[in-house]
Amino acid sequence: MITGCGVVSPLGAGVPAFWEALVAGRSAVAPICGFDAGDLTPRSAAEVRASLPADPDRAGMFALRAASEAMEDAGLAGAPGARLGVVLGTTLGGMAIFERWEAVREPVSGIERVPYYAPAVRLARTVGARGPVATTQLACASSTHAIALAADWVRFGRADVVLAGGTDLLCRFVVAGFNCLRATAEVARPFDRDRRGLVLGEGAAVVVVEDAAHAARRGARVRARLAGAGAAADAVHMTAPDRDGAGAARAMAAALAEAGLAPRDVDYVSAHGTGTVYNDAMEAAALGRLFGTRRAPVNSIKGAIGHTLGAAGAFEVVACVQSLATGLVPPTAGLQVPDAGFAHLDLVQGTARRHEVRVALSTSSGFAGTNAALVMVRP
Amino acid sequence: MSERPVITGVGVAGPEPDAAHPLPGVVRARLARTERVTQLVLAAAGAALADAGLADTTGPPRPRCGVVLGTAFGCFLTNAAYQRGLVERGPAGASPRLFAATVSNAAAGELAIAYRLGGPSVTLSAGAASGLLALGHAADLLAAGRADALVAGGADAVGEDLAAWAADGGFGGGAVPAEAAAVVVLEDAQAARARGARVLATVEGYAAGFEPALGAARADGVVATVAAALAEAGVRAADLAAVAAWGRPRLAALVRAALDEALGDARATLGADGAGDLLAAAAPLGLLSALRAVPPGAAVLALDVCPSGQLAAVVARRGKEDA
Repeated sequence: MITGCGVVSPLGAGVPAFWEALVAGRSAVAPICGFDAGDLTPRSAAEVRASLPADPDRAGMFALRAASEAMEDAGLAGAPGARLGVVLGTTLGGMAIFERWEAVREPVSGIERVPYYAPAVRLARTVGARGPVATTQLACASSTHAIALAADWVRFGRADVVLAGGTDLLCRFVVAGFNCLRATAEVARPFDRDRRGLVLGEGAAVVVVEDAAHAARRGARVRARLAGAGAAADAVHMTAPDRDGAGAARAMAAALAEAGLAPRDVDYVSAHGTGTVYNDAMEAAALGRLFGTRRAPVNSIKGAIGHTLGAAGAFEVVACVQSLATGLVPPTAGLQVPDAGFAHLDLVQGTARRHEVRVALSTSSGFAGTNAALVMVRP
Repeated sequence: MSERPVITGVGVAGPEPDAAHPLPGVVRARLARTERVTQLVLAAAGAALADAGLADTTGPPRPRCGVVLGTAFGCFLTNAAYQRGLVERGPAGASPRLFAATVSNAAAGELAIAYRLGGPSVTLSAGAASGLLALGHAADLLAAGRADALVAGGADAVGEDLAAWAADGGFGGGAVPAEAAAVVVLEDAQAARARGARVLATVEGYAAGFEPALGAARADGVVATVAAALAEAGVRAADLAAVAAWGRPRLAALVRAALDEALGDARATLGADGAGDLLAAAAPLGLLSALRAVPPGAAVLALDVCPSGQLAAVVARRGKEDA
């Protein structure tokens, strides 16, 4: 069960600000101002601009803030940590620490001693977790699998409550990297005929994954049931997605099978939708494989908050939980004219759509051909 | 309760190539152009898959076969190499080839391509405890029915940049890092039986936890995690034939005390003596060595405590027909 949500997003800190802006179709994409990007092309991104304290471990700080909101939302503030776990997805994690060390080569101190798992360890210490602690590294599908892993820990009795999500930060390392792959654009236009590439984002999204009986005992409000998870490899290419979308389709089909649901039961698909030529075509193919001609509304929130990499899937889960609760599907910011090849998709564009969502499907794909999917059901 | 998952193949790779387990030509071709963690993983997993009789390198991706890899430092060396180009030469020095490999799941992705693994492809980090955590997560994925066979274990590579980072206090283990990959093929018991696979061992139980105060006098989290792994396995401490524990020099005394408390006596042998700190590969390797050292049917415990406080324990039993 998901019993709480928290975010630090480019659209604002806190779920209410994030959701309101998402529904309004706003985009946080703008010229980078958080670090020197004068020599980078493109140089737009969706930065977290909320007033937050300077922190040598920016990604960890995002995660702490998001987790704190999620725990408060779940009514778990001050909960004892013996049966509490932490799992965060990230691609860059403590990259800020690493960049600084690379520059000065001075001894590393404090608890954040390793680039990748620093945020999860910091969060675990802060909340007093004594249960399992892990960092999932499935590139851009990292936090989707983090939430699946949390559900497994709960299912197999390894924890009663798990803080699960993802965090990533913007820095020169990653912007220059996606630029050199020629995968970026100044504006993200997911599923648009004129899409030119992705725009990076940053932030953290954390949900409280809780054992159903534990939630019932303490009278917690259940926001969504995590009904199924799936993961699959393309096994085709390291950076380019499988053009047939077979891997993504396998992950989605596995998640639906675990939930005991059929594709026709899905009311809404939160797509990975990065806005690159190949990703969106791959996903359209995967959705076509799975859904045939049946059209469930599809959107991508990456036009609004950019591609937050290791946090992307968790942001989608928070958005799906809101859609289940409100019956609103946010529009795909940046989408103007859908690609003619995607006529089989019911893309939500322009304004938010009022639509009853009982079953939401979120799908993520990443470098090295990794795919993960989650099915969420309204309680 | 579903049947316990079984180990049907094992593979280990270190700094030197393993002449006894030559890899298929298509895999060797991939090996030449990949980063170091991937090379170690391809070598170890190739041996494990061959051992299990599952080393296919052709045909469509196998949807019920996958990989769960644990790594403490993952793509650290690639990140450092890529970052150096960017710092020294600006955006023109950003290498697309290196950047594409600045994800810790690169090794799992290469392995999936080489051996046609179309099922779950998962990479985890829990610091030095990553290898055992990966083994445990693989067991859960099998129990959840998400796969029939998974390559599972730990791998880390070392190089100049990582040595410098470790020397500057990053990691905090107190031992010099060394590189290795140690993996098994973990398989659903029924699936293994159906294809007549040889059972080397059974994974009976696992537990993971967090010890926030490793500087304290007692390591209650370590004691609790060992107890939880034994409870899940239904194995009494007195029935363990061997214990392989990794605590790193800085934590050795604390881990030994915790093991004494959890197990009631002091049979544990602590690793990290001489060979260097094998990071995520250390505990899976310790588990395999322990299994080899005990008679068929006997149970062993492997434990790893990372200086970060992340820890995991696995209880396994040597197969009755493995002699």
